[in-house]
Amino acid sequence: MKPTRLSMVLLLWAARLGAQGVVIAPHAVFIDARTRSGAVLLYNPNPDPAEVAISFFFGYPATDSAGRIVVRTVEHPDSTSPSAASWIQAFPRRLTVPPLERQTIRLLASPPPGLADGEYWARLVISAKGGQLPVTGVADTAKVKVGLTLEVRTIIGVFYRKGAVRTGVTLSGLRTAVVGDSLAVWARLTQQGNAAYIGSAHAALLDSTGKTLAELKAPIGVYDAMEPRWALPIGALAPGRYRLRLDLSTGRDDLAPELVLPSPPVRDSVEVRVP
Amino acid sequence: MKSLRFAFVLTAAVALPLVGQRPITVTGVRSLAFGTLLPGVPTIVARTDAAKSGQFTINGPHDSQAQVTFTLPAVLTGPGGATLPLTFGGSDAGYSQSQNIGSQIGFDPKQPFLITFSGQGRGSVFLGGTARPGLTQRAGSYTAIITLNVATFP
Repeated sequence: MKPTRLSMVLLLWAARLGAQGVVIAPHAVFIDARTRSGAVLLYNPNPDPAEVAISFFFGYPATDSAGRIVVRTVEHPDSTSPSAASWIQAFPRRLTVPPLERQTIRLLASPPPGLADGEYWARLVISAKGGQLPVTGVADTAKVKVGLTLEVRTIIGVFYRKGAVRTGVTLSGLRTAVVGDSLAVWARLTQQGNAAYIGSAHAALLDSTGKTLAELKAPIGVYDAMEPRWALPIGALAPGRYRLRLDLSTGRDDLAPELVLPSPPVRDSVEVRVP
Repeated sequence: MKSLRFAFVLTAAVALPLVGQRPITVTGVRSLAFGTLLPGVPTIVARTDAAKSGQFTINGPHDSQAQVTFTLPAVLTGPGGATLPLTFGGSDAGYSQSQNIGSQIGFDPKQPFLITFSGQGRGSVFLGGTARPGLTQRAGSYTAIITLNVATFP
């Protein structure tokens, strides 16, 4: 794309944002133990200043009892937890980003001595408060006036990698059930190695000739053991026997390739009977 | 010439983070608005109300996922510490991948909700709710903060 055209696209993109909130990049920070530092860029596309506060906590994606992916927060991680939340600092922790300007948040890691090789995690919280959101709901003649203010908190992952890091995943307990016009798919995924498995899941429903009838691709991050549930839209499927194939690989579109730890693909399949 | 220069400044400001990894933006667009409140009369705002529902837009890496949670106030605080109850039902929040208020998937704003960004990396969250002023509700201005938390999933 030519620079002028790119500039116009970005102009339009920034103009569309409006209201309050800041652009945050990247959406995940990877810190190498050799430099022990990272950076997050904030850009305020709005006409009003944005007040920003930075904090950390320890948490990672997991699944709840229904197989939904949620952030599992650990308020008091023990010494065996791969938590970096207590020894990564942000500078500054409070700032005001002027309109149409950018600010850089520096991250500095001060790990404890003798830290074992591996990957350590924290969640970076960026709280943004808009400058001048109008107070709404104020009626001219009402006795009771109400004003609600909106705040946004964006939470991104921070990964600190020291020494030899390796990852992998095991796949077990693959099972399915037809639920309405979808095929529910469950599997138990267990992280291997000393780093999170960040990749993609690809589920495909095949007929007896190997033809793909339905498929689904979703990003996946395995930080411990988890049992995600996916819903594959299958519509009205004729009664018969099919095969569900689930592939896990470390390819990701949203992360630079050099940041994704490679690992051999993992695959399993199971028969699906539609009555 | 001036606008072209402005365009280049903007490019310098935001092009850098676009390389390698994608940015994320969570924006509060419109606050939840209850209009005139009468003592003793609950006022309901539906999440599909284009003028009164709260709206947030989220831009992130296309086809990626994020967890959305709300931090919701139970009451609004007014003059002399007076409070006005605010309640949220099990389907008072909605997510639209197309950012169309008419095509939402409803969800409980008190529970975590997993969103998937569209191929263009966009989505909108809408919020409704109910304000319940008491029969003897004290007159004055009442305020509270609604916080949307968006956690990305690398």
